[in-house]
Amino acid sequence: MRVTMATIFSSIQNNLQKLAEDLQRINASIASGRKYQRISESPVDVGALLGLNKDANQTSQYERNLETAKGWISATLSALQNITDIVQAGSALANQMATGTYNASQRQAAAQQVQGYIEEVMQVGNTKFRGEHILAGFRTDSPPFVEGDWQVQQPVMHLKSGSSGTAVSGGVYTGSSSRTYLVEVVGEGGTGVGTYKVSTDGGQSWTDPVVIPAGVAALGDGVEVTFGGTWQAGDRFSISVYRPIEYQGDNHDFEIALGSTSRMVINEVGSSAVGGDQDKLDLFQILAQFKGSLEANDPAEVGVSLEKLKAYEAHVTSILAKLGASLDRVAMKEEVYANLKDELTRQISDRGDTDLVEAANLLKTKETAYQASLLSSSKVMSMSLMDYLS
Amino acid sequence: MSGLSSILSTATKSLLAEQLGVEVTGHNIANVNTQGYSRQKVNFVAELAVPSFWGPLGMGVKVEGIERAFDPFITARLNEKNSLLADYQTRAAVLEQVAAYFNETESGGLNDLFSQFFASLNDLADNPSGAGERQTVLANALTLSEAFNSRADQLVKERMMLLQEVGPTIEQINRYTAHIAELTRQIVETEANGQAANDLRDKQQLEISELAKLIGVSTYTAGDGTISISLPNGLPLVAGVQSFNLTYQVNPSDKVELIWQGPGGTSEIIPIDNLSGGKLTALLQCRDEIIPSYQQELDQLAQDFILAVNRQHSQGVGLELFSEIKGTYQVTDPALPLSAAGLPFGDQIVTGSLNISIDRDGEPLASGTIAINPSLSLNDVVTSINTHAVLGAYLTASVEDNTLKIEINFSSDSFALAGDDSQILVGLGINTLFTGSNAYTLDVNAWVLDNPNLLAAGQVDADGSHAVGDNRNALALAALEDAAVGPKKLTFSDSYQQLVMSLGLEAQNAGDQESFYQGLVEQLTQMRDAVSGVSLDEELTNLVKFQRAYQAAARLVSVADELYQTLLALRR
Repeated sequence: MRVTMATIFSSIQNNLQKLAEDLQRINASIASGRKYQRISESPVDVGALLGLNKDANQTSQYERNLETAKGWISATLSALQNITDIVQAGSALANQMATGTYNASQRQAAAQQVQGYIEEVMQVGNTKFRGEHILAGFRTDSPPFVEGDWQVQQPVMHLKSGSSGTAVSGGVYTGSSSRTYLVEVVGEGGTGVGTYKVSTDGGQSWTDPVVIPAGVAALGDGVEVTFGGTWQAGDRFSISVYRPIEYQGDNHDFEIALGSTSRMVINEVGSSAVGGDQDKLDLFQILAQFKGSLEANDPAEVGVSLEKLKAYEAHVTSILAKLGASLDRVAMKEEVYANLKDELTRQISDRGDTDLVEAANLLKTKETAYQASLLSSSKVMSMSLMDYLS
Repeated sequence: MSGLSSILSTATKSLLAEQLGVEVTGHNIANVNTQGYSRQKVNFVAELAVPSFWGPLGMGVKVEGIERAFDPFITARLNEKNSLLADYQTRAAVLEQVAAYFNETESGGLNDLFSQFFASLNDLADNPSGAGERQTVLANALTLSEAFNSRADQLVKERMMLLQEVGPTIEQINRYTAHIAELTRQIVETEANGQAANDLRDKQQLEISELAKLIGVSTYTAGDGTISISLPNGLPLVAGVQSFNLTYQVNPSDKVELIWQGPGGTSEIIPIDNLSGGKLTALLQCRDEIIPSYQQELDQLAQDFILAVNRQHSQGVGLELFSEIKGTYQVTDPALPLSAAGLPFGDQIVTGSLNISIDRDGEPLASGTIAINPSLSLNDVVTSINTHAVLGAYLTASVEDNTLKIEINFSSDSFALAGDDSQILVGLGINTLFTGSNAYTLDVNAWVLDNPNLLAAGQVDADGSHAVGDNRNALALAALEDAAVGPKKLTFSDSYQQLVMSLGLEAQNAGDQESFYQGLVEQLTQMRDAVSGVSLDEELTNLVKFQRAYQAAARLVSVADELYQTLLALRR
């Protein structure tokens, strides 16, 4: 082929240009640490990277969700653990007080202890985690357990055999502290015949006997009772007055996302875990009744409360076990996500990061080629017949 | 006739011929770097011999003409490949530019922003009453909207820039065709005496190859040496000494129409599909076919995103209820059925019902259900709210700025939109997170932006109650990240990945084609240069050759002179 000036010079230019382009690309990939600077360099890899990055971001988010889950569950767990401790102390107290070896004044003192338990359970039940009341369902902005209005409870009856006495409590309490009215029939008979006396300290001191009136009988501070039937001497009943604890939250489960399709409940609804719903396993009611029976100096009723406390303890223990299992699940998920993230990071790096050794090698190769090209070009360019013509 | 004067005459011819050789060599050397120049050479032939006693006697040299070394076939192929090269060069440059707007190899791409948006919704689900979480969701929603907007905007601007290039390119084409026709005229005039107009033809070829870079053409050389140039669909641009102009207009659907202006004021629209090769073709195809297809994909993605998020968001309730609310989408006429009133998502409205619940002083007070169907007009909806047996007493609905407005009647009240299976809220843009209907108009609803507490993380219970710790709606919104949406049933991230990948592949393909044709053009150029190019060494050799021949011819003169001297000296 005829080689002309244009051929020589344009081929030198083109080749140098191509090498310079390669050098620039390799240099950019080394300098930026990224294998690709433009999506057109490898659309398939870039597309795959987008997917991997999305997965990695999502995994980080689920890890963050798991942190929240861990916080909530741990906080709930520790609150319920505290409550269990109180319940156990209460059970021990009830165990003691159910025996006949304690007198009325000791039971009065124990009643004060139980009041302390009630307040403590309420305080624990109103625990906040990161500013949220965790036992309130979705109503996390206000304390789930609050004291309701004074309530006069129905009488707890202890009748002698052959007695047909009935009592219905009523009235509006005007006092300022919870108490239990203990009523004992002194003289047998029904309305207008029988007589009764009242004690507010578990029978340590009594009022003078009064004739059972027709209609309501005032026991003091607005508490009333209506007698019915025929009473035997020695019949006893007690009427407790206290402010029941009410649950103000709702029954919603608080869920968080653990994965694109999996969710997990991370709260416990206070009404079922603790109480306030006047249900059979309402701890507040159990404790209040316990306290009432202590105030009434009633070992038999204390025994009933002990059974109820045991039943509640079993209930809360099963909840604790469930929460423990949830924590295990969180820990397991954390591990899964940690591994997944490692794997994703590795893949992202494999696909998207510059392999420095490879790139440096390539750079060296191109550099050598470029220098060789410069050398040979300058030789070719400088050759001319003119140098030899005189 | 032989004789001394014949020797002199031979020497003279030789001197002149060799001198011409030197001149042509000089011309070649001078044009070594001239684009499109074809090396020329003098065509020497032996002068006709005269009969003599001893047989035909040579009478020296004769110059028959100056020829240029030119291969029309290689040149035609080179023009064609140059045309395709220019097409792919332009295409690759444009696509690379567009791809840069979607460059997801850098951080802060749309893909990341999607992830961040959904991550913040997850954080909101973790802490639904958190003010910080709410602000983060809104900030990410804004960033995402802006990213969509800027990409849509850049695509529009790219199309505008391409349009700005179309005019000058067409002007250039017209200039080249006019030049070529004019050169043809000059060539015909120059060659009338039978001599080749080498330099004019080189110039014409150069103009043709420049023209081919702008628009794919086919050339035809007639028997008389005149050249005709026509478009791939057969319309002539140059016919002999006449040229025809191209012009363009933008039609109502925002596409460029290329118009051929024929003789006598006739004109014809050239469909873009009929063009092949050249910069203009690439410009028009990029502007009116390639970029719009990506605009459409981006718009579709934005639309799917707005719809999915708004549909879920409108089912929820924020930390605060509304005292008034107004739609973000306008109907063309409040008396028209909602499905035909020009609402961007009007086709989503189906027969169903909208529940509204009223709070007084923060406690549930009343609730009611409005029956909705797509044939209702906005006026009908207003009437059915205002005349509702329960809600009518607490709420006043009206049409304001061609959209629905609902207000409370008592300042102690507030209301929640508690569940809507008719999608009227999506259709009117009430209790929605995003406004707009495509990538360019996507924005965050100003109502929510002004009051982050309206971000609907929770839902309203059947009894009308709602709580600050409710994260049900936030969870459902966060779950949209993996939901299959839109006509293609892909997640947002997957749809976007597809867009990026197809754009990347198209840019890569154009780049590959560009370098392929680059190689081809280089090869053909070498072949052309092998024929037509100037080699300095060759010219220098020729120079020496002609110089020596000239010296020899001059020597011949002096020999003849000596012969004359000798002859004349005989008489002394």
